[in-house]
Amino acid sequence: MRGKIRRIKFILPLILSHLLICCSSSQEARVIFAVGGTPAELKGWEQLVNGFQWRSGIPIEILLLPADTDQQRQSLIISLEAGVKNPDVFLMDVGWLALFSHSGWLEPLKGIDTAPFFSKVIELSDTYQGNLVALPMYMDGGLLYYRKDLLNASGISGPPKTWENLLSTSLLIQPGMRRERPDFYGFVWQGAEYEGLICDFLEFAGSNGGFILKDGLIRVNTPENRHAVQFMHDLIWKYKISPPTTYTEMKEEQVRRYFQRGDALYERNWPYAWNLHEDEESEVRNRTGIAPIPAPRGAESVSTLGGWHIGVSRFSDAKPEALEFVKYVTSYMGQKKMVLLLGWNPGRQDLYLDREVIEKMPHFSKLKEIFQNAGPRPMVPYYAQVSKIVQTKINGVLAGRYSSDQALKEADEEIAALLKRYRIE
Amino acid sequence: MTEERLQKLLLTLGAFFTFLFCLSPFIYMLFTGVSLRPDFLRPDIPFVPTLSHLDAVLTSESMHFLSFLRNSLIVSALSAILTVFIASSAAYAVTRLSFPGKKFLMIAILAISMFPEVSIVNYLFKLMSAMGWINTYPALVFPYVAWTLPLSLWILSSYFARIPQDLDKAGLVDGCSRLRVLLKIIFPVAAPGIFSTGLLAFILAFNEFLFALMLTTDYSARTIPVGIAFFQGMHGRIPWGEIMAAATITTIPVVILTVIFQRRIIQGLTRGAVKE
Amino acid sequence: MSKSEVREGLAFLMPLILVLVIFILLGVLFTVMDSFFRDVTYLPKKFIGLENYAALFGDRAFRQSIEFTFLFVLVSVPLEVFIGLVIALVLNESFPLRGAVRASILIPWAIPNAVTGRIFELIYNYSYGGANYLLRTLHISSDPVHWLGDPAGAFFSLVLADAWKTTPFAAIILLAGLSAIPSDLYAQARVDRAGFMQRLVKVTLPLLKPVLVVTFLFRTIQALQIFDIIYVLTKGGPGGSTMSLSMYGYLSFSAGDFGYGSAISVILFLMAFGFSLGYLRLGAFGKEIS
Repeated sequence: MRGKIRRIKFILPLILSHLLICCSSSQEARVIFAVGGTPAELKGWEQLVNGFQWRSGIPIEILLLPADTDQQRQSLIISLEAGVKNPDVFLMDVGWLALFSHSGWLEPLKGIDTAPFFSKVIELSDTYQGNLVALPMYMDGGLLYYRKDLLNASGISGPPKTWENLLSTSLLIQPGMRRERPDFYGFVWQGAEYEGLICDFLEFAGSNGGFILKDGLIRVNTPENRHAVQFMHDLIWKYKISPPTTYTEMKEEQVRRYFQRGDALYERNWPYAWNLHEDEESEVRNRTGIAPIPAPRGAESVSTLGGWHIGVSRFSDAKPEALEFVKYVTSYMGQKKMVLLLGWNPGRQDLYLDREVIEKMPHFSKLKEIFQNAGPRPMVPYYAQVSKIVQTKINGVLAGRYSSDQALKEADEEIAALLKRYRIE
Repeated sequence: MTEERLQKLLLTLGAFFTFLFCLSPFIYMLFTGVSLRPDFLRPDIPFVPTLSHLDAVLTSESMHFLSFLRNSLIVSALSAILTVFIASSAAYAVTRLSFPGKKFLMIAILAISMFPEVSIVNYLFKLMSAMGWINTYPALVFPYVAWTLPLSLWILSSYFARIPQDLDKAGLVDGCSRLRVLLKIIFPVAAPGIFSTGLLAFILAFNEFLFALMLTTDYSARTIPVGIAFFQGMHGRIPWGEIMAAATITTIPVVILTVIFQRRIIQGLTRGAVKE
Repeated sequence: MSKSEVREGLAFLMPLILVLVIFILLGVLFTVMDSFFRDVTYLPKKFIGLENYAALFGDRAFRQSIEFTFLFVLVSVPLEVFIGLVIALVLNESFPLRGAVRASILIPWAIPNAVTGRIFELIYNYSYGGANYLLRTLHISSDPVHWLGDPAGAFFSLVLADAWKTTPFAAIILLAGLSAIPSDLYAQARVDRAGFMQRLVKVTLPLLKPVLVVTFLFRTIQALQIFDIIYVLTKGGPGGSTMSLSMYGYLSFSAGDFGYGSAISVILFLMAFGFSLGYLRLGAFGKEIS
């Protein structure tokens, strides 16, 4: 009698937990597509996904991840490292693509012709050990947005081509604007401690700066980089043309909203902001122009290559269906929808020549060239950690914690230690 | 001023300060949740009450807020129930039965309760992956039970210790097994203590963050703390109104529970030492 | 102690022992083991002995996280215990509405850390947060303070947010201790014409000592592990100045390096263990357990 009751005490929790497992996992075999991003993007995805479901009959569901790229990465890493079967297909920031492919989490994509896509990107990031493991969904490259109306009013003919010029025009215009708009700043950009900071940094540093990959080492302590970081610091503290919250709060959306309110002269952001700036309710509608990123003195301008790639999980239980979805969203028609509905920049080069597309997005011709030449970040699996080291140091400079010399010197040391640990020499 | 008057003044100030200190962030949260704009503290911006944030949080599918809430409630409740049973069973043994190594056991359990979460999360992650439990309720319930057991044992032991063993003896003489004595005699008498323990376990599980972050990946099992930490809303900028509305919905049940049962909770936490 | 009694005792204890062993004890052992491996998602798993620890030794970010964690514990724990003591002293006296005040101190404790983090994120908001609003209305400063904008500000902001959340816990434990002090001791002191401060120092504090030690111990262990609030409020910034040990370990895990993260968490575990042993030696514990 006693033994029986004792046994029940053990069995009950076990039964409970099995019930829990059954109830909390989904039953149908459907394609689960994990994607994060801003709400505007989500709406676009919903449309695409519905179109796919309608056309192919394959049930598909969106799993919404946070907008922050690091949080997306964390969530996906947990799923993949645990070998869980969902999500089946997901988007990856080009920055962590190498981590995912090297960890063996991506299923090779068969039967896809890669010729229409941007070849440099396919070669550098989407191929692993001879297999195609991902495709560029959309491309991103940093752009400079500017208020044409304000420049014209001050008699300035065009957007700045150098960082010095950007600085001087901001100093010229900002005081006047401050009289009516106390929160007006010359230049808003992403300075918070996250990957976006690196993207901006690479652009401040220009063609002679950035990550130096040599002899198997990654270095950042160069005169051009030190100068760039100092410049970033001075924009906030010395010249005061960027808000103090730049290094604590400013990410893509914060920057975009700041500019869209009419409180900035220049904005560094990705192409996605264009459509939103031209939106009905935008304060800067018809008053915004885009230009390539300015160049530092003595070097050429660099636009950081960004973008999101789509891949299929090696642990997926719906691989053929997932592959169908990948083919759909990277097809000519699929990508064209993305462009026309949401202004996204497709990973397919051929679309940039499409007549309808050029009509709706005239700036695309500029973009194509920018993307072809855009500077990628190092495609190594440990990039996330290298980036974190550099992010922390640069953000530290912006916060007044280090000098730019000390920061980059320490960054190099810590990166070298990291590589040594992984015996990557 | 006489000493007494000074004391009274200090006391009043102290009580006032305490009350304000504890409640002001909470009240700020409540107000922001129903304010049209989060910057209503700026002099030029009026406070306009609205229920739109609450509505958005409760009805927006893609935010999955209700899923987070459901997960939190279920996981916490299950953890609390399991904890109570397992801890009562052990507390009974500790207070009624003698066996070798009791003191060592208690110290070991106390020591175990001091292990930092981050030191275990990697193992739990690998364990749950192997069991296929990642992103399901058991992944959280079992660690939470383990987490709250030491404290629960502590509390229940002191409650059981104060229940006279004559009650047991009476039952045993009548031919009940020890288990029956526990369930039929001790449980009813110790009900307040058991309730406090369950409540504490519930609250601890409800508030936990790191395990939820690392052992779940999406709304099918993620809990509210992670949901709120990741909250991004529908309009791009940090949606303070919605975050605070979500925070309000999250905390109101726990706060109500705490306020109603404050005596029990305090007694639980202090093993009944606080006098009325 | 009969044999059947021992067996019974074991049976009743088994569930607890099983759960604790499987989900916690084995966890620590496993983590220690894993710290001796190169366990990275994109590299083959390999036994590397103490290399992770050697690397930690030379890792500047790790050293800084230890410094931060220590500093945080050193500043926040005494502060919280002190404020907790004040609150406990207040609540120990009876006065009208005492119940309301007592209920109010439980509220910070009941709110999840993540929610607290977001509330304080709003409070510290540069443009319209409550903190700057207070500064302006109380005429302390007309310029907004960039709370999270520099290492010192971020540190202080974290301490305040953490204090708000955990002081009630300290207060409750101390209140229990205070209640246990027999009131005739106070009566005696009054007869001896001891003033308020004297009563405090001569009667209250000495008798409260064991409870104070317990409170310090619990709060220290908790403060060492601080993670939730940092994750939500500063994520270790700005410039890595508020990186706690737990946060650093977590970051390692989320970058795919589980071995390194395990090593970090073993160090944290040893620190917590060391503190516990240290406090236990103060002897207060023997009494508490029995």
